[in-house]
Amino acid sequence: MGQAESTHITGNTMSESRREFLQKMSAATAAAMACAAPRPLAANRSVAPAATADSCILLWMAGGMAAPETFDPKRYEPFEIGLQAEKIISTFPAIDTVVDNIKISEGLEHIAQVLDRGTLIRSHVQADLGHILHSRHQYHWHTGYVPPQTVAAPHLGAWIARLPGPRNSAIPAFIDIGQRLEDIGEKEELKAFHTAGFLGSEFGPFVLPYPDRAIDAVRPPAGMTPARFESRYKKYRELVNREVGDHASDYQKESMLRSMENAYRLLNSPERVAFELTQESAESVEQYNTGRFGLGCLLARRLVEAGARFIEVTTEYVPFLHWDTHENGHTTAARMKQEIDRPVAQLILDLEERGLLDRTLVILASEFSRDMMIEGVPGSSARDQSRAKADVMGEMKQFGLHRHFTGGSSVLMFGGGIRKGLLYGRTADERPCVAIENPVTITDLHATILRAMGIAPDTALEVEQRPFYVTEDGKGQPVEPLFDA
Amino acid sequence: MHSLLFRFLTGLALLPGWFASQATGQEPADFAHEIMPVLQARCAECHSNGVFQGGLSLETREALLESGAAEPGSREDSEIWSRITTDDADLRMPPEGQPLTADEIEAIGRWIDGGLEWPEELSLAKSRFLRPLELTRPLPDDETGNPIDSLIDQYFRDQQLDYPAALDDRQFIRRVQLDLLGLLPSPDKVNLFVESDDPAKHEKLVDALLSRDRDYADHWMSFWNDLLRNDYAGTGYIDGGRQQITGWLHRSLMENKSYDHFVRELINPAEEAEGFIKGIKWRGEVNASQIQPLQFSQNISQVFLGINMKCASCHDSFIDDWKLADAYGLAAIMSEQPLEMHRCDVPTGQIAVSKFVFPTVGQIDGTLPRAERLTQLADLMTSPENGRFPRTIVNRLWQRMAGRGLVHPVDVMAGQAWSEPLLDGLATHLVENNYDLKQTLRLIATSKIYRAASVPVPEASTSDPFVFRGIQAKRMTAEQFVDAVWQLTDGWPDQLNAAIEDPTSEVTTQPPIRAALVNSDALMRSLGRPNREQVVTTRPAELSTLQALDLSNGEILANWLREGATYWLEKQQQEKWTDEQLIKALFLAVLSRPCTESEKVLLILDHAGDVQQQVEDLLWIVVMLPEFQLIQ
Repeated sequence: MGQAESTHITGNTMSESRREFLQKMSAATAAAMACAAPRPLAANRSVAPAATADSCILLWMAGGMAAPETFDPKRYEPFEIGLQAEKIISTFPAIDTVVDNIKISEGLEHIAQVLDRGTLIRSHVQADLGHILHSRHQYHWHTGYVPPQTVAAPHLGAWIARLPGPRNSAIPAFIDIGQRLEDIGEKEELKAFHTAGFLGSEFGPFVLPYPDRAIDAVRPPAGMTPARFESRYKKYRELVNREVGDHASDYQKESMLRSMENAYRLLNSPERVAFELTQESAESVEQYNTGRFGLGCLLARRLVEAGARFIEVTTEYVPFLHWDTHENGHTTAARMKQEIDRPVAQLILDLEERGLLDRTLVILASEFSRDMMIEGVPGSSARDQSRAKADVMGEMKQFGLHRHFTGGSSVLMFGGGIRKGLLYGRTADERPCVAIENPVTITDLHATILRAMGIAPDTALEVEQRPFYVTEDGKGQPVEPLFDA
Repeated sequence: MHSLLFRFLTGLALLPGWFASQATGQEPADFAHEIMPVLQARCAECHSNGVFQGGLSLETREALLESGAAEPGSREDSEIWSRITTDDADLRMPPEGQPLTADEIEAIGRWIDGGLEWPEELSLAKSRFLRPLELTRPLPDDETGNPIDSLIDQYFRDQQLDYPAALDDRQFIRRVQLDLLGLLPSPDKVNLFVESDDPAKHEKLVDALLSRDRDYADHWMSFWNDLLRNDYAGTGYIDGGRQQITGWLHRSLMENKSYDHFVRELINPAEEAEGFIKGIKWRGEVNASQIQPLQFSQNISQVFLGINMKCASCHDSFIDDWKLADAYGLAAIMSEQPLEMHRCDVPTGQIAVSKFVFPTVGQIDGTLPRAERLTQLADLMTSPENGRFPRTIVNRLWQRMAGRGLVHPVDVMAGQAWSEPLLDGLATHLVENNYDLKQTLRLIATSKIYRAASVPVPEASTSDPFVFRGIQAKRMTAEQFVDAVWQLTDGWPDQLNAAIEDPTSEVTTQPPIRAALVNSDALMRSLGRPNREQVVTTRPAELSTLQALDLSNGEILANWLREGATYWLEKQQQEKWTDEQLIKALFLAVLSRPCTESEKVLLILDHAGDVQQQVEDLLWIVVMLPEFQLIQ
C-alpha cells in the first residue's frame, strides 16, 4: 500500500454553471467561461464604493517623464559650458499656473491654465526593482504586480473592462491608443502586460497604435464595400443555419456564433464613427494635432463621448526615444512637452464643455521620474544607464535628466470626482528629490483609480483556486483626500 | 431570500446594540482567510473526516446546514454562536484548550450574519477522495477489443447512458488527423479512407499518422511549448534571462523519446535543455516566491504532477496541504546556494531542506552536489512507485483527444477522475509500454469511443458531478487554425523561427513550415497562442468578440484569403473545373465532406460580379464555420 497522493482535495472546482455566469456578465462572451476562467470570489472584504467616474482615460508618459522638467520644477540652471552636473536639478524655468500655489515647468503653458480642474500629485513613488528595465516598471505600473508572476496579471484596463464591464457594448471596454507591439524594442516585454492575463482575451486591449487609422480596426477589411461585407456575413449565417449536425445546443458553438455576431454588429454599428478622426473639424484636429499622442487624445475624447470605459493613450514607449532620455534630455523634454501640452489641456476643456469631465477620470502618469545624478533611488544598486555621462557640461546633449529616478514623480488627475486645484504631496527641493510628504505608491494610486470607478481595492477573482486581487494582495488604499468631499 | 432577510432583521431587532454597525454595513467575513483557518485548527478534529461529534459535520456548508447548528443571517439563532460565546465550560466549544479569541469569534459572527458564505471548493473533508500513489489497476485484459472500451462500456451501462452514434469515416479521419498531427486530411486521403473496405483501416490510419514523425513533432511542439513555456521570442530573451530548448524539444518529439527519459533530461538537463528548469529571469530583483528555484518547484509540480505549488511558494497553502517547506523542498534541490525560506516575501531564517513531494517514493540527500540531487529527483519523479507521474501525462493526453480530462482541471490531479480505473489503466499502460506516449495516443485513437460522434459540451452545474457522455468537440488551437488556412491556401511561410535541427535536409521535398515553428503574430496571439511566460496547460475553449473581430476584419487573415482566392481560381483553371466543381472541391478540402445541393446554390458564384472577391468571401465563410473551427 503506497502513500496517498495528497491529503486534501478541493473538490470539483470548476463546475460553475456556465449559463448562469453568462447571464451575469451581459457584455462578455463565453470566452470568460472557459474552464480556466476566473470566477468572482464570493466574499470580498469590503463593499464596492460608489463610482465617481464612468470612464477613465490614462495618459501614459511612457519612458519615464522627469518630474523636475514637467510638473515639479526645482531650482533652474540654464545650460552653460562648464556647469557642474551635480548642480543641475531642473533645466527649465518654472511658470505660473491658474492655481496660486502651483508652478510647473516652462513649455506646459496650456496645462497650466487647466490645473484648477484637477489635482497634481507630486509624491508618486515606485518600487526599486534593482535594475531599471522600463518595460518591467511599466508592467508593474499597469498591472500592480512586479513580474514575474505565477499567473498572468491583468492590465488595470482589463480589470476595469471586466468588473464594471463596457458602458456601451459597441465600444470595446479597454482601448489602448498609440503603442505598437510589433517591430520595436522590448516588444515581448510590452506584450506581457498589454493583456487581460488570466481574465481572458475578452477583456484584453483593443490596440490602436495609429489614432488616425483607428477606423480601420472597426470597419470591414480594406477594399470591402459595406454591401459586400453584409452579404458575406448573411451568407455565412445562412450556411450555419443549414449546417448538418446535432449540436444545436452546444454552448461552444453558440458562443462562437455570438462572438461572430458581436463582431459583425460592432463593424456595422453607428458608434464606429467615434473611431473616425476625419469627422472632426479641421480646427478641432488642429487643436490636438501635435502628432500621434495629440491625435490619440482627440480619439479618446470621441470614444468617451461614445461610451468607452477605459482608454489608455500613450506617448509610446520605444527604447531611448520620447520620454526615455538617456541623452539630450533637455532638448527632448522640450519637444515632449510640446507634444503633450496642448492636447492634454484641450482634452480637459473639451470634456468639461461637453459635461463629461465630472464623470470621466483623466490620469497622466509615468513609470518613474528622472534625475541628473541618481539611478533608482539613493542607495540603489541599479546600474547607471546614462549615455551622456559628464561631471561638467561640455555639450548640449549632456544637459538633461538621464537617470531613472523612482523616488518621486508627478501624476495629474482630473475629473471623475477628483478635487479641483489640489496639490498633493511634495518632493525635496534639493537632491535627492524624493517624496517627503504623503507618498503614493502604485498600489494606492490604483486603489484610488479603482475607487473612482466603483471597485473596491480588495476585489478578487479566483484563478487556479486562489484569489487574485485587483490591487496587490488586496492591500491598496485609496488616497481619500484626493476626492471631492 | 425573503426568509433570510427576515431572519436578518429579526436578529437586529433582538440586538439593538448591533444596529448601528449593521446599518453602516458590517463587512462579511472572508471565508478562506478568516474562517477556514479557525475551523481547520480548532474544529476539524471532532467535526470532520468521519468524526462528527454531536452529529455535527463541518466539512461543507451543506453539511453544516443539515445539522441545523447555524442559521444563515443570524448568529443569535445559531447554536454554534452560543457554543463559542458561552462561559459555561461544559458547553463551550472548542472544549479543549483556550476559547476562540475575540477576533475569531467576531469573524464567525460576521460569517453567520453574512449568510455563511462558503466557497464550494473549500472543504474540511481531507479524505473525500484519496487514491494510492502506486498504480495498482492495469487496464482489463481484453483479447478482442480495446481495453479502454471495456471500461467505458461498463461505465455507460452503470450510468445508464446512451452510447453516442458512430462517427462517419470522413469525420473520423478529420478528427484523428487534426488531433494527432494538427493538419486537415487531404481530399484524396479522405476519399481513399472512405472507400476502403479494410476492416482494420482505422487502426492502420492511426498507425500511419503516428509514423509521420515530422508532422507529429511539429504539431506537438505547441503543446509542449505551452507546458514547458518555451518560445522563440518572448520576455526574458532580451538580456539572456531565458534560454530556448527548441532544438532538444523538437528532436525529442521526432524521436518519440520515452516520456521518462524526456522528463529526466528536463529535470537534470544537458545544456540544450536547461532552459526549462532555469525559468525566466527578469532584470532586477524579484519577489522571493519567484526566484528561479521556486519557478522550478512550481513548474515541475504543475507540469509533471498536476500539483499547484504556487500558493505554497509564499505560505502554507489554503487550498490543499502543500506547505512552504514542500515548495522550498523542491526548490532547494536545484538551487546552487543554500536557500533561505521566505514567507510572503519575508525571510524566515530557516534554510530550505531538499525534499521530494512524495516521501514514500524516496528522499533527496541534500548534502550531495546539485547535479546529483537533480539526478535523484529525476529518479524519484520517474520511479514506478510514483503513479502520479504517468497519471498526470495520460490525463493531459486524454484531455487533448477527448476535450476534457479524466481528472478536471488537469492541473489539479488530486481530484477524482470520472473513471479512476481508466486513469490508472492508461497510466499503467504507459509504464508497461516504456513510457511511449504514441502508444497512449494510439490506444485512445483506436478505441470505439474515440470513433464515436462528439457530444455537446454539457452545461455543468455546481450540484452535478461530471458525467462522461463521449468525446467533446475541441476548438482548433491558434496553430491548428493557421496551419489549416495555410494548407487550404498554400500559404505556408518561407521563414522558420524555431531553431530546430533539420533532419529532412537531405530529403528533396521540404515539409511546409508550420505555425508552431514560427513566431507568434497578432492573429495567433489573438486566437489564444499564449505569451508562455507562465506554464499553460489549457487554451481558451471559446471564441471571444475581440478574436471574432480579428477574424472578421483583421489584415492578416484577409491577406491570406486574398492570396488563397487567387490560388483556388488558378487551380480551377488548371483543372478546368466549373464553378460547381470548384465549390465541391473547396468543401472537400475545408470540411472533408461534399457540399449539399442547397449549400452549393447558396454559394454559387455570380460572374456579373468580381469573382476573385467572391472566392475570397467563400473561403472566409467556410473557415468561419463552427463545423470547421471545432474539431468534432
